Amino acid sequence: MSANDYDGVIRRDPRTEWIARNRLHPQHADVVAPAAETRGPSGLIRKNPHAVGFIGPNGLKRIDRLAGNGPQAGGARRGAKAAAEVELPLVTVDNPDFYIVAVMDLVGGRLSGHDKDVLGQAHKLVKDTEGEGAVVAVVFGESKEEAYDKAGVDRLIHIEGEAYEGYSPEQRVAALQAVDAMLEPRYWLFPDSINGGNELGSRLAAKLGERPATQAWQVDVANAVCRGGSERTDITRETPRLLLLAEECADPIDETRHAAQPIVLEAIPSAIVRIEDKGQVAVDPNQIPLGEAEFILSAGNGIHDWDQFHMAAEVLGATEGASRVAVDDGFMPRFRQVGATGTWVTARVYIAVGISGAVQHLQGIGQCDKVIAINTDVGCDMIKRADLSVIGDSQEILDELMKLVEQHRQGGAENAA
Amino acid sequence: MILDSLLPILIVVALALLVVGAARRISLWRAGQPAEVNIVGGLMAIPRRYLVDLHHVVERDKYMSNTHVATGGGFVLSLALIILVHLFGFESKILAWALLAATALMFTGAVFVYKRRQDPPSRLSKGPWMRLPKSLLVFATTFFIVTLPAAGILPEAFGGWVLAIILLAGIVYGLGEMLFGMTWGGPMKHAFAGALHLAFHRRSERFGGGRSTGLKPVDLNADTLGVEKPTDFKWNQLLGFDACVQCGRCEAMCPAFAAGQPLNPKKLIQDMVVGLAGGSDAKYAGSPYPGRDVGNANGGPTMTITDGLVDPETLWSCTTCRACVEECPMMIEHVDAIVDMRRFLTMEKGNTPNKGAETLENLIATDNPNGFDPGSRMNWAADQNLSTMADVQETDVLFWVSDGAFDMRSQRILRAFVKLMKAAKVDFAVLGDEERDSGDVARRLGDDATFQSLAKRNIEVLNKYKFKRIVTTDPHAFHCLKNEYKDFGGDYEVLHHTTFINELVKEGTLKLDQFKGGTVTYHDPCYLGRYNGEYDSPRELLAALGIELAEMERSGFRSRCCGGGGGAPITDIPGERRIADMRIEDAKETGAELVAVGCQQCTAMLEGVVEPRPEVKDIAEIVAETLVEEVH
Amino acid sequence: MPHNVKVVSLVSIGQHPKSGRARRGEQDGRAVELGLKLAGESLQMVHAGDDSEEALRSYLGMGLKGMTVLKQPTTGDAIPALAEYLSDNRPDIVLTGVRAESGEASGMTPFMLAEKLGWPLVTRIADIGKIENGEAEILQALPRGQRRAIKVRLPFVASVDLAADAARQSAFGPARRATIDGADAANVEDSVRTSWEEAPARKRPKRLKVVKAKTAADRFKAATAKSSGDGGKVLKKESAQEKAKAVFDLLVEEGVLR
Repeated sequence: MSANDYDGVIRRDPRTEWIARNRLHPQHADVVAPAAETRGPSGLIRKNPHAVGFIGPNGLKRIDRLAGNGPQAGGARRGAKAAAEVELPLVTVDNPDFYIVAVMDLVGGRLSGHDKDVLGQAHKLVKDTEGEGAVVAVVFGESKEEAYDKAGVDRLIHIEGEAYEGYSPEQRVAALQAVDAMLEPRYWLFPDSINGGNELGSRLAAKLGERPATQAWQVDVANAVCRGGSERTDITRETPRLLLLAEECADPIDETRHAAQPIVLEAIPSAIVRIEDKGQVAVDPNQIPLGEAEFILSAGNGIHDWDQFHMAAEVLGATEGASRVAVDDGFMPRFRQVGATGTWVTARVYIAVGISGAVQHLQGIGQCDKVIAINTDVGCDMIKRADLSVIGDSQEILDELMKLVEQHRQGGAENAA
Repeated sequence: MILDSLLPILIVVALALLVVGAARRISLWRAGQPAEVNIVGGLMAIPRRYLVDLHHVVERDKYMSNTHVATGGGFVLSLALIILVHLFGFESKILAWALLAATALMFTGAVFVYKRRQDPPSRLSKGPWMRLPKSLLVFATTFFIVTLPAAGILPEAFGGWVLAIILLAGIVYGLGEMLFGMTWGGPMKHAFAGALHLAFHRRSERFGGGRSTGLKPVDLNADTLGVEKPTDFKWNQLLGFDACVQCGRCEAMCPAFAAGQPLNPKKLIQDMVVGLAGGSDAKYAGSPYPGRDVGNANGGPTMTITDGLVDPETLWSCTTCRACVEECPMMIEHVDAIVDMRRFLTMEKGNTPNKGAETLENLIATDNPNGFDPGSRMNWAADQNLSTMADVQETDVLFWVSDGAFDMRSQRILRAFVKLMKAAKVDFAVLGDEERDSGDVARRLGDDATFQSLAKRNIEVLNKYKFKRIVTTDPHAFHCLKNEYKDFGGDYEVLHHTTFINELVKEGTLKLDQFKGGTVTYHDPCYLGRYNGEYDSPRELLAALGIELAEMERSGFRSRCCGGGGGAPITDIPGERRIADMRIEDAKETGAELVAVGCQQCTAMLEGVVEPRPEVKDIAEIVAETLVEEVH
Repeated sequence: MPHNVKVVSLVSIGQHPKSGRARRGEQDGRAVELGLKLAGESLQMVHAGDDSEEALRSYLGMGLKGMTVLKQPTTGDAIPALAEYLSDNRPDIVLTGVRAESGEASGMTPFMLAEKLGWPLVTRIADIGKIENGEAEILQALPRGQRRAIKVRLPFVASVDLAADAARQSAFGPARRATIDGADAANVEDSVRTSWEEAPARKRPKRLKVVKAKTAADRFKAATAKSSGDGGKVLKKESAQEKAKAVFDLLVEEGVLR
């Protein structure tokens, strides 16, 4: 039994109780303030209705009915202990009756959210199938992932080597065919993504002569519900052996640990490679279509030094965008216009310089992850939308920002050297 | 004396050249496509059309109208009398005196023409046109002197041979300019082509106070859709181009020209003349297309216009506001020509610039220009409890909602109007999801195929139901439904909402308070005003609210476009300024705090101007604010 | 500049995502555009399906004089017919869209064709550059506007991504005048599909942030706590350097500075 098991027991903290009693103690107020109930001098319980509850996010008072036996004076210490990391129970499959193979995208060497959803789906299928099944994850290339166990990987096939680097679908499919021959998996699962999952899955399906379920988003052993063309129809079909799963098809594993026991493939036949990867092409950020760009520096009415703005975009390596007004005034070409009437953007980081934020503009940046506003007007709508706002002269701030980035670049170069 | 014997010969030669030239010119026009005209009726109608209809337009410039009456009238009279007196040799003092009077009249007119040409405004073309007053003076003077003996004022053989030679030279020069030049491409061409243009005008409804503004449908089974080369125009359109006097009134009114976009209606018509006759624009002596040099355009009757004669950007700069047509003293139809050429670019070349292609694709796939779900057309009215025609089948007023249904700003206008109709207890219904875009934008962008498809389907829906009239808040839809659906079997009584509200107010069904607010000015939407002649209702309505309008300098039929018509915001041709900015400047000059508008497109364009600027509101909104709501 | 290569662009009937109306497919249109760039007028456009479908005209409006339709009933499997056509005609390059806009839209067509023909397949291409010595240089579209250069031997199949040049405008006149060649083709019924049920798409529930809390109090806190994204940080009084530093830190944190 571990110490955690005593958590449910109410423990008294004599020192806090003493401070609570001692009205002259300097910490008295901290300890007592939240107390909604105190035992009065006569021994009766006194309730302080004003101290009950807390103010919720929408300004309404919320009352926590657990307050009576919950976090009283001294409770904080118990809470701190509970926050300590909990070791999840380990689930092991020693002699699986069947395998379900999930091929991971491994974006940037780590499991993506989509990958984890696929693993979650794999376990759902295991649970629904008779017999004991093991979830096998296949990953290609360099892996930085450390938590395969927590993502629900029972067996791990990690295939590395020169032949698998870069764009190598032919060789990868050959490896998957070898896996198919060895494990005869009950199901093949792929994330239906643009990060390679869709391509590998489709290629394997064509090789194996399977008819895959694509964009499947609700799958059990009997039926798979798939999104049809233009996301306008749902197709319900018998669950095939090979599935390309949509994002959020199932909940990721988060309550168990798995063995992530490596499986070593015997010799993989090398495929005839007719596609030669010439490497990623350096793309000028300003050539990237606005709708696809991941980092946008956008200019509005508040920009006065346009040369500086263009330089800043170049230094930051950002794609340039503009508000309607900046375009109308002829400072930027029309295809740079961001917003409902221009381009809808999906950038990870969107810096709005001198843009007050018309409704149409805010609509157009609705899908951006992080919005940074540089503006002189604190009251403008863009600041309400932004995750980080800096108020002040954009010229000055951009100047400082460029200096920082240049230092950063030089520093990086020195480190590399 | 030599003069006596030479004069008739010269006149005959000049007349012969005139006739040959005329035949040649007519053959140039006839290279165009056939068009049905009433030849005799048209020719008979010339005097009336000239003296009444044309004069009505010309008279906006009093100086020029009087001058022209004197010069033109004097010339026509002189010419007739010259033929009688000097060619046929009628020995009649009265005729001679009449001729003297006619030439004197012409001389007087020509003096004023001359004065005008001393320091001509920039809109007037120079070049040969600068020569014309002198030619007029020479013609009038020489024939005056030559006629003096016939009138018995001077002896037969007055002067010496020097004078005779001078007079001879004058006669040759005068006849050359006035008769030879008339049909061989001189400035006087306008008299010949202009007269025939009046006779065979493509829109004869425009004479006698009528109005004809709807575009003509394209035969979608033709070998070429739209106008590729000058000969693809109807022959009477080509004739119309030749009637241009290069007075530049169109240029002065054109919003695109003022905004520095590469369009000048006058230059465009002159380029069409270059095209129909063949050659280059090197001799053109007026203002160029802004930002484009003169002299590089070449064309011929069977050469593709957009390959070297006119840049497509010129055609796409037009907002189809009709200010040029309204202003043209020769009643030339610029907008027809521009849309004809756009039709070729869109339907044959697939070359509609910028967002044009996308807009047309959306119209085809979703029946609205922005690609919204056609099933969400009624979402704006989720809280309005409107009845649809499908439910009621029959109603007094069919409210044509238009694509404003998808735009949050326009929805405010729609709601205001619905509020007014409900207050007046009007029996009305909407088409709901059965409504489609009226086809206005598709048509102005040259895609008549899509327009016709939308129009036909709209008409099919409209014809299913019974209603007395259609009311709409969108002047563009108003224009299409009222004027352009007729060609496809849709004939309806259509009202603009300002007209309709004005009726309600006059009837007393709407109780209105007085307007409380600052100075108000009114912006006439082109498609309401110039296209449909509705200038009064909006003004009456505003007056009924106790508003005294501070009129802009350009208002009524001279109202300046907001820049939103003809698909111009979609094709988005760059200029030096924006038309909407100029319009707001016009409004600011009146000191207005509020611009009243009767069009959602105008509202969008004018509100797009950077603040500070006057507020912009649709009349429906202004009226709805002053509505006295009865408490039950 | 058109190359001296034989290109076939396969097109399908698109579907507008809002109205559901048949139209020119976004990706297929790009496949035709790229085909026109490579082969000019000699591009062959092929569709397997109904030859009376009006939406096919919107491809023809891009400037081709005609196209071939391998006639198929709606329940037919297009792959055998297309494979037969391609192996008879032996083009150098076959271009398709990535996914159809209607029906199953599995995106398997290029994979199946490549497999049947035994040709390499390049997915999601943005452009084809030089074609020399029987090899083509291809630009493949990667997420976020990135590109990868690829070299592949002819003949090959390629699916065209939305990152490729947009299809030119379809003109009504040429579309109406062009001819559609209906050709009889292998007719195999897609028997698997007959057992499927198709229904209008249901709205997928947005995944909520599920809080695994041990106690009711924790769950309650999680449900009522102010969400972290609400209202960003505002720097006002700091110096310009500090403000710039804050922006810089966020950029580094997000990893967008390269």
